[in-house]
Amino acid sequence: MSDLHTRLTEIFHTIFEDDLIVLRHDMTADDVENWDSLSHINLIVAIEKEFRIRFTTAEVAALKNVGELEALVEAKVNR
Amino acid sequence: MLVDRLPDLDYSRLLAASRKIARTPEKPSLKLALLSDAATQQFVPILRALLDRNGFSAEIYEGAFDAIELEVYNPSSGLYAFEPGAVIILNATQALRSSFAKRQASASDFAREALARITAVWTAIQSHSGATIVQSTFALPLERFFGNFDLKTPDSFYAVTRNLNSGIAESSRQQSGVLLIDIECVASLVGGSRFFDDRFWDMWKTFCSLEVLPSVAQNLVDVLMATRGRGVKCVVLDLDNTLWGGVIGDDGLDGIRLNAHGDGEAWYRLQLYVRELRRRGILLAVCSKNDERNALLPFESHPEMVLQRDDITVFVANWKDKAENICAIREALNIGFDSMVFLDDNPFERNLVRELVPGVIVPDLPDDPSDYVRFLTELNLFETAAFSGEDLRRAEMYKKEAERRTAAASFASVEEFLQTLDMRIQVARFDSYHLPRIAQLIQRSNQFNLTTQRRGEAECERLMHDDSAVPLYVELSDRLGDHGLISVVILRKDGEELHITDWLMSCRVLARGVEQYVMNEVFALARQSGAARVTGRYVPTAKNGMVREFFAQFGFRKISEIDDATAWTLECESYIPANVLIKPAEKDPATLCTVRVT
Repeated sequence: MSDLHTRLTEIFHTIFEDDLIVLRHDMTADDVENWDSLSHINLIVAIEKEFRIRFTTAEVAALKNVGELEALVEAKVNR
Repeated sequence: MLVDRLPDLDYSRLLAASRKIARTPEKPSLKLALLSDAATQQFVPILRALLDRNGFSAEIYEGAFDAIELEVYNPSSGLYAFEPGAVIILNATQALRSSFAKRQASASDFAREALARITAVWTAIQSHSGATIVQSTFALPLERFFGNFDLKTPDSFYAVTRNLNSGIAESSRQQSGVLLIDIECVASLVGGSRFFDDRFWDMWKTFCSLEVLPSVAQNLVDVLMATRGRGVKCVVLDLDNTLWGGVIGDDGLDGIRLNAHGDGEAWYRLQLYVRELRRRGILLAVCSKNDERNALLPFESHPEMVLQRDDITVFVANWKDKAENICAIREALNIGFDSMVFLDDNPFERNLVRELVPGVIVPDLPDDPSDYVRFLTELNLFETAAFSGEDLRRAEMYKKEAERRTAAASFASVEEFLQTLDMRIQVARFDSYHLPRIAQLIQRSNQFNLTTQRRGEAECERLMHDDSAVPLYVELSDRLGDHGLISVVILRKDGEELHITDWLMSCRVLARGVEQYVMNEVFALARQSGAARVTGRYVPTAKNGMVREFFAQFGFRKISEIDDATAWTLECESYIPANVLIKPAEKDPATLCTVRVT
């Protein structure tokens, strides 16, 4: 399990108040209780803060699932 | 804000805290309605957390997005059914920008109409409800169309926003029941480029970046607290190293740092700041560990002193602990502890007051006095919901009242506090590493100094190698920090006698049992060396009156008195070791072994 994956999982646990969430690549907002537009902003902000990165509006809008999110974070961290 | 350090305004932590707070408390102490032309879903949880932290159990009505006018003009709207005690109107710069873009008339006409719409909202609310209105100002936009000329022309969006803010302020003065949450000021304090994050507006209609949201919410909470009369009435000031640089008792009138230009400007600026508070009706009190005569000296004779003795409603300078003195000040003024702020550079005094006098606001002043005013500004301690001539007369009233009262409250729990400090002491023979600091302390100590013999570094070094002398330095630390080298005691073995030739100590560590601990050590050394008695002298100076009875307190007998200089003696077997709350430092045991009388 990569360090990035672990950190991302912890953020999900905090934001959605559920320590049992296991991140899967095909996971979407429909799979997670409380993942609404409000908590989505909080998720994005928490990830930006944790990894010291910044998403563009287009990137946020284009995200389809957790796999894409993780890949995007990884790409930005390694840039 | 009534908290004692820079409060935690971290968005994520406040968000987490808000989840634990009931949304509909059984008996809300505050019913708050929030109307905005921006989205407020992010704002409300943060507001809820901060209200809770500041003792409100609040119920919040969140109006629909961009429906301010729909709510206020409809007598049967959800807003009025909620029966709010306060209505917050949050107008976003971004929403203003959108309607500015669509304007038909000139920019100045647009500004006039925008203001008229805002004040009409107030009037509508007041005709249907008795709620207090809290209206936001606009954060100034960052974009420019004319460059610096944006400010000069009334046609720019920037100028329109500024004029609108002025109009809101002016109208709020005319209309009672309307308070302001000055978002323009919040944005300028954090910086416009940090305040705005346009992505959040584009995606979710959030009016500022989430990291700044807590500052906006805290300002709103501050306003709401002020409407409940919760605010600061009195600032209690330490003197040495708080109102001026240095120690008046040691450095004297010429030695303290305080001036409009130069190395005393930080303290000068703090005094200017405090004087403005005084002028706006905040009471000032002094609480200083000092001889009163010394403490008053700068007020009477320092040419650059900003504050005058008359500005101080209660002046307390003595050697008692500050918790006791603050209780006395409170009693003299007859105000609540939670309306007092205590400013002191010394972390020990701050913690003592914080722990022994709950309620008093004790900000952790930054280390650099240059930062004092900014720090206090960011705390926003002096929020108010009203200001009148009465405020200005208040100080005078309190002063008379204070003169009538006698204050003599006594506190028993200082010992308990000292115990929690876990004070650690080290008494060791002079060593070359410490010589510079030893010499410095010898030069500087005037008040707690029995014989005031100024010994330079070279002489200290000679003593260090002198076998018949026992030159000791004392270091103190506690769980709050390291006080460093704070005392010097020099002993000399002379036949049957162990003679105290020098004893001096920094006044910062007074009343903690340091001198008692060291005296126990002195007698232990005397016994160990076979001395029968310990002797010492007190030589009066203009400044060392506080140790006139030093030997008497340990049971020494006065054997001579010539021109106020006294000589004292005490048999080893008659000495009763003093009770101390200080433990030896768990440091290098080798250094302790070097303390020996040969």
